[in-house]
Amino acid sequence: MNKSSAQGAEDPILQWVTFRLDNESYGINVMQVQEVLRYSEIAPVPGAPSYVLGIINLRGNVVTVIDTRQRFGLAPADITDNTRVVIIEADKQVVGILVDSVAEVVYLRQSEVETAPNVGNDESAKFIQGVCNKNGELLILVELDKMMTEEEWSELESI
Amino acid sequence: MSAPATTTVPQLALQSYLDSLLQDASLELAASVSLDEFEAAVREEQARDASTAPQPLLTLAPEMPPEVESANELPEAVAPMALLELPEALEPAPPAPIVEPIVDLYKPSSAATFEPALAEDGRPQWAQEPFECLLFDVAGLTLAVPLVCLGSIYPLEGHDLTPLFGQPDWFLGILPCQAGNLKVLDTARWVMPDRYRDDFRQGLQFVISVQGYEWGLAVHQVSRSIRLDPNEIKWRSQRSQRPWLAGTVIEHMCALLDVSALAELITSGAAKRLVNGQVH
Repeated sequence: MNKSSAQGAEDPILQWVTFRLDNESYGINVMQVQEVLRYSEIAPVPGAPSYVLGIINLRGNVVTVIDTRQRFGLAPADITDNTRVVIIEADKQVVGILVDSVAEVVYLRQSEVETAPNVGNDESAKFIQGVCNKNGELLILVELDKMMTEEEWSELESI
Repeated sequence: MSAPATTTVPQLALQSYLDSLLQDASLELAASVSLDEFEAAVREEQARDASTAPQPLLTLAPEMPPEVESANELPEAVAPMALLELPEALEPAPPAPIVEPIVDLYKPSSAATFEPALAEDGRPQWAQEPFECLLFDVAGLTLAVPLVCLGSIYPLEGHDLTPLFGQPDWFLGILPCQAGNLKVLDTARWVMPDRYRDDFRQGLQFVISVQGYEWGLAVHQVSRSIRLDPNEIKWRSQRSQRPWLAGTVIEHMCALLDVSALAELITSGAAKRLVNGQVH
């Protein structure tokens, strides 16, 4: 193994899909993103948890769409032309997350990612994987698997 | 508590702050704003500290490494007077993605690394001999912080803090700066949680980083540096509650913050158990 590949193994480059919510940039691991859809009507599901916006029909498959703003503790916002549903795979499930817009795919070295402050009691703080400076702004990296508790993932599966 | 008409805004703020410190005390102070009362308030605070049984679970000192360079061994580490006396040094820098410090308060030397600790006499290690303090203003309240505990001063004007969801209300956000991503805390929420108003978040002009930590204090104004003799300070005898409050300086009518203890409190995770700035 030469020196550069050894360095690559020690400091892998990861790709992140970036999206915006409330004027902040967030990143999710590209390996968990299946596709990005324009906003289409989301059918509400009676009795579903508050963090579930509803379901969409994705080529014959039913996909549950999560209210990302509610999950992140942000105020609701209007749907715009830039609104997207990012189809992701997390905790062995395929779900959609509603975001204000999708920006780009960025490459980050593992060493560029800084840990986020661990000072909050709020459950939502646990799914911040880290932060990173990219293109002059701060990117907040989200750990999708932790966006829900085990119980909530199970609950989603049963919708 | 009423105040005479000649009382200045900082005095009122300080009085208000001390009132909050003493709110649990059984003895009510006389209604005036004077040095005598200030002194009495400090004495009462000390008496209350002394009467409270120590709570070793959250006392930070025993966890600190025993060998720490004393403050008098850090002569070159700080050059506060000259730097802080330059008026242009505190002018906000032009907006840039990465904030550069306008004043480096701490210049590390190979022989000295600062770590917060309390000496046998209960005073912090940096207070064994006369030491330099920076005075700054938060929501009208003047606070003093030992320079050896401080890193740099960063301007906030033209820079947006990036908030993170799910964080406590005292976490203002992240400020990208030369040294990395600085986590900025709302100083007013810590030092006067009971009297906090949302408009305190307006007009914050500087972030003062804490030496050795990725944390900084958001402040409204940076004032000047002063030299303090440890004997001028009314030290708190035990710090299980409000460990970040080292004592009070009667001559300058201000509270002395142990920001390293505050940063340690936050990074250790103990801050998660805080209610209104007090450890529970």
